[in-house]
Amino acid sequence: MDNEIYKEELMDVYRNPLNKGKLDNPSVSILERNPMCGDEINLQLSIKDGVVSDVKFDGSACAISIISSSLVTEDILGKKVNEIRDYDRQKLLDLVGLNLSTSRVKCATLVLTALQKAIKQYDSGKK
Amino acid sequence: MGTEALKKDFPIFKVKINNHPLIYLDNAATTQKPKKVLQAISNFYSYSNANVHRGVHTLSEEASEMYDEARRKIARFINASHESEVIFTSGATDSLNFVASTWARNNLKPGDVILVTDAEHHSNLVPWQIVAQQTGAELDFVEVGETQEITLNNFKNKISEKVKLAAFFHCSNVLGAMLPVREISKLVKNNGGIVVVDGAQAVPHVPVNVQNLDCDFYAFSGHKMLGPMGTGVLWMKRDLLDKVEPYRYGGGMIDLVEMKHSTWADPPEKFEAGTPNVAGIFGLGAAVDYLTEIGMENIMKHEREVINYAASELSKFERVKILGPKDVNERYGMITFYTEGAHAHDVATVLNSYGVAVRSGHHCTMPLHKKYDIPASLRASFYIYNNKDDVDVLTGALKKAFEILG
Ligand SMILES: Cc1ncc(COP(=O)(O)O)c(C=O)c1O
Repeated sequence: MDNEIYKEELMDVYRNPLNKGKLDNPSVSILERNPMCGDEINLQLSIKDGVVSDVKFDGSACAISIISSSLVTEDILGKKVNEIRDYDRQKLLDLVGLNLSTSRVKCATLVLTALQKAIKQYDSGKK
Repeated sequence: MGTEALKKDFPIFKVKINNHPLIYLDNAATTQKPKKVLQAISNFYSYSNANVHRGVHTLSEEASEMYDEARRKIARFINASHESEVIFTSGATDSLNFVASTWARNNLKPGDVILVTDAEHHSNLVPWQIVAQQTGAELDFVEVGETQEITLNNFKNKISEKVKLAAFFHCSNVLGAMLPVREISKLVKNNGGIVVVDGAQAVPHVPVNVQNLDCDFYAFSGHKMLGPMGTGVLWMKRDLLDKVEPYRYGGGMIDLVEMKHSTWADPPEKFEAGTPNVAGIFGLGAAVDYLTEIGMENIMKHEREVINYAASELSKFERVKILGPKDVNERYGMITFYTEGAHAHDVATVLNSYGVAVRSGHHCTMPLHKKYDIPASLRASFYIYNNKDDVDVLTGALKKAFEILG
């Protein structure tokens, strides 16, 4: 049933998400919106010597979006930018481990789109 | 009204959603279809299918007659003064774009004002944004207050001889509020403007009398009133029929075609180029029959009971904040609300697990949601087959949602 989405472990993440907030001096900052629902997430990364040294997200969003933002930011913290370049939809859905209905997949991928844009911005800033 | 018996007319209510009976509360998005409408569509394709106004053979004549009869029915339903005032479109969006691309684009110029409200459906906002860009006219907004009185005054403050076109909803698809169309129309017209009304959320729920409303254009959709998707109406006041240019060009709308020049057929054909959605319109005619049989006054009375009950049950939740008129009697068709501390999509997902279908999001009114500073809301919208039991299932599921989401 659908309520599986709101499993207790995940609801713990929703109530106490990791890396929620803002960075003082981020290397990149991306504001990503889901026009279908009006949700928005601000993803900020600090990158030092090619490594994600700090990451935070903030914004108004639903549980699915907050849970996946928490899990993704937890996953990429401390990793090399080169290691997270191939972050895609499948990898994100595996990480979240939920069987999401089509309309809710977009909620989960909001942070992914922000991350992909952040990497692109970081790359273009380096050149 | 016996809603349990009514539900039997709608095959969809046999469908189970997550093993629960379907509690369909997304009627403002689209309504379900009764067997009579489905049969009308199927009968047309099975036994009468032919193109209209094109052939002398039996089927073509029959199809043409069915199409014309549906037009007459719909004209009577909204009390049009003549059937040629009823122009078939693909929906309210198409009808509003029709006026934007024809009368508005051909008549507006720099210095003119197009007046809309800040609570329009995107379909009654975006076309005017484009017309403003194309013609140099200015787009101005009336703020919608909580009561009709405030709204009428807000209109008064904005109306001047510069307002050449005013476009506004009859019933809001978020607030459920009705505008005093007749009074506003009078104000606009006394100052020389044209009035376009978006009736998509009104025609399904209240008796509409276009002559009494005294506007110039009135747009609505078939699929929100038991009819098929892809059907809609633009009602155009008779004295405009000859002044307004065709919307689209091609077959069916011409009188005489020469190599470099053509003339137009009489209205309404002049406005309906190409093969129309005959089966759909025939289905819409059946929907109008179904509604007429129950009676729009009865429908209004029934919905009033259900909505008032829903409002009182929903307001028992401390975390539920209802949008729209404070006086529940000024609210039609729907209750839109947001839930403090729980996101609309999460709540809607939990409701769905109990078979309850509501809309979550901004309901095609992004500026309005921005004004209230809420990212998304929930909308429970009702129709003839909904009853107080449906409301109880909704509030029961809502309780569960709050337990799960914290
Ligand atoms: C007030 C209002 N106007 C216009 C529309 C657009 O109707 P349609 O999508 O059928 O063209 C809707 C429906 O969503 C509506 O609620």
